[in-house]
Amino acid sequence: MSDFVELMVGAAASGCIYALVALSYLLITRPTGIINFAVGEWAMVAAFGGFLALSRFELPYPIGMAIVLVALAVVGWLTERFAVRPLVEKGAPPLAPILALLGMLVVFRELVSVTMGPDPQPVPPMFGYGRMELGMVAGSYQSFFIIGVTAAVFGAAWYFFERTLAGRSFEAVAIDRRAAALMGINLRRVTALAFAGSAGVAGLAGLLVSPNVSAHYLMGLPLAIQGFTALVIGGVGRVEGALLGGLILAVAEQVTVRYAPIPPGLAQGVPLVLLIVFLLMRPTGLLRARESRA
Amino acid sequence: MKSIAGFLLAALVLSALAFMLGSYQTDVYRKLLLWITLALSYNFLFGIAGQVAFSHFTFYGIGAYAMVILLFQVGLPLPLAIVAGIVVCVVLALVVAIPATRLEGFYLALATLAFAQLFIVVLNEGGSVTGGPGGLANYRLPDILGVRVTGPWYTVVIVFLLLGTLAVLWRLDRSWFGRACRAVRDDPQAAQAMGINVTTTRIVAYAVTSALAGVAGMVYAFVDNTVNPPIFGLENSFLLLFMVIVGGSGRPAGAIVGAILLYLMPFFLSPLIGHHHALVFGLVMVAVVLFQPKGLIGIWDGWTARRRLT
Repeated sequence: MSDFVELMVGAAASGCIYALVALSYLLITRPTGIINFAVGEWAMVAAFGGFLALSRFELPYPIGMAIVLVALAVVGWLTERFAVRPLVEKGAPPLAPILALLGMLVVFRELVSVTMGPDPQPVPPMFGYGRMELGMVAGSYQSFFIIGVTAAVFGAAWYFFERTLAGRSFEAVAIDRRAAALMGINLRRVTALAFAGSAGVAGLAGLLVSPNVSAHYLMGLPLAIQGFTALVIGGVGRVEGALLGGLILAVAEQVTVRYAPIPPGLAQGVPLVLLIVFLLMRPTGLLRARESRA
Repeated sequence: MKSIAGFLLAALVLSALAFMLGSYQTDVYRKLLLWITLALSYNFLFGIAGQVAFSHFTFYGIGAYAMVILLFQVGLPLPLAIVAGIVVCVVLALVVAIPATRLEGFYLALATLAFAQLFIVVLNEGGSVTGGPGGLANYRLPDILGVRVTGPWYTVVIVFLLLGTLAVLWRLDRSWFGRACRAVRDDPQAAQAMGINVTTTRIVAYAVTSALAGVAGMVYAFVDNTVNPPIFGLENSFLLLFMVIVGGSGRPAGAIVGAILLYLMPFFLSPLIGHHHALVFGLVMVAVVLFQPKGLIGIWDGWTARRRLT
């Protein structure tokens, strides 16, 4: 039983990582309709940022983390400014920004591989390597840290979208772009903010996961696929969907690896099968987007 | 009549070239021809039918593996193996296409991306059937009517594969089906209103191009005489997409230019920047999408149009 509980703590932690990546997609997709595969690469860039700030320069964790996240938000904004905005202003077909971002994915990955080398690099966890026990519930410090930070981020995202004017303007753009623009919402600013925020959240995911997996230049695409699977499971329309999808995906993954009588290599296929099944059966996800309210 | 003469001339020139190359150049030349073949069929799927699918290179792999498994594990004779291999590709393409083409826009890309990843997982875990991570090797093309087809003669087979693919796509593009594909790409609702069956058009376009990729894979199986999972990874599906976009999507000439350019680029870049040519691919891709959405072939079009005016 305690074995199962510990498995669930680990699953919840990796589910939180998927959920953060899913949220990162959602922040861009919701107001702009653009699906940005480069979120995985943003997470990878942040992991290397974590390596530089925390392992190379040995900054205190909170300061290093803040620097990395701000840097990522700037990277996200620059990506929007130079690879997306020119296309939107030219009135290019909707596929064009997606393809440009696919190209940026390769650019980010290869830039890191050129500058940082192809070897994995260590990133330290927030509270060191240790194990915490709260009665039945036990897991590594980092697991609890990931769960706590993710809960805070999703709380903040919920507050932002539901209670602040800027957040409501995101929602308005998502529901009807033209109407939102006519109501005086600055589409350009919403898009720029969406990219900066998305890169920040993706960066957080990369920073949190990197102590477990090390920073590696190929870590981005798998994260991008898992994050998207989480998004598809939960539903593209709602912030809570990202969290729910991430947790479901991680639990399904961990339970099959541990208990299902199939070779571990084949268990890697579970999230892919889940993605295909959800795309075919319920492409809107478990939670439907909220319709526009009168 | 003129186009038939053109095809014959191309066959003659490309085949003659095969007999002038050394063994290393032959390898490069064969793979160039295969990349052009794949880019042509992917151009139909992506550029003309408007489906963003990441499964094209996977069908190339399915064709190659199906050929090797059917010939040497099942023990079918070559003609039967070719037919059975094509059937496998078409059936799998339909299994993917019938549900997946219902999906709008980028969801198709994701479903096919997952399918491509799943293929690699299955290859790695396939045990003795697929040879696991090491793949299958140590086989060679069976004799055809008692003749061993090797060296430049096998290159000629690839030339015919390329021209055959081009001819099939050319014919399709110029038929009602090609126009239906373009209509569905540009506006599915308008196409539907014009009496085009959108779903069938999508499924057929996906199945035909995937089967063509599968046939190319069957030919590839005897180029390196080994098939293994890393060859058919996701990287190459991205590269295929880049080739078509950089060359000019929707245009066979664009696909050919893109395939030649991106395939040969590493050979010229590696003395300058080593193995980091993927960075250049990414930059070229972004630059083309931003500044030259019609691809390199668009530059040529603009140039000839201007010359005609003056």
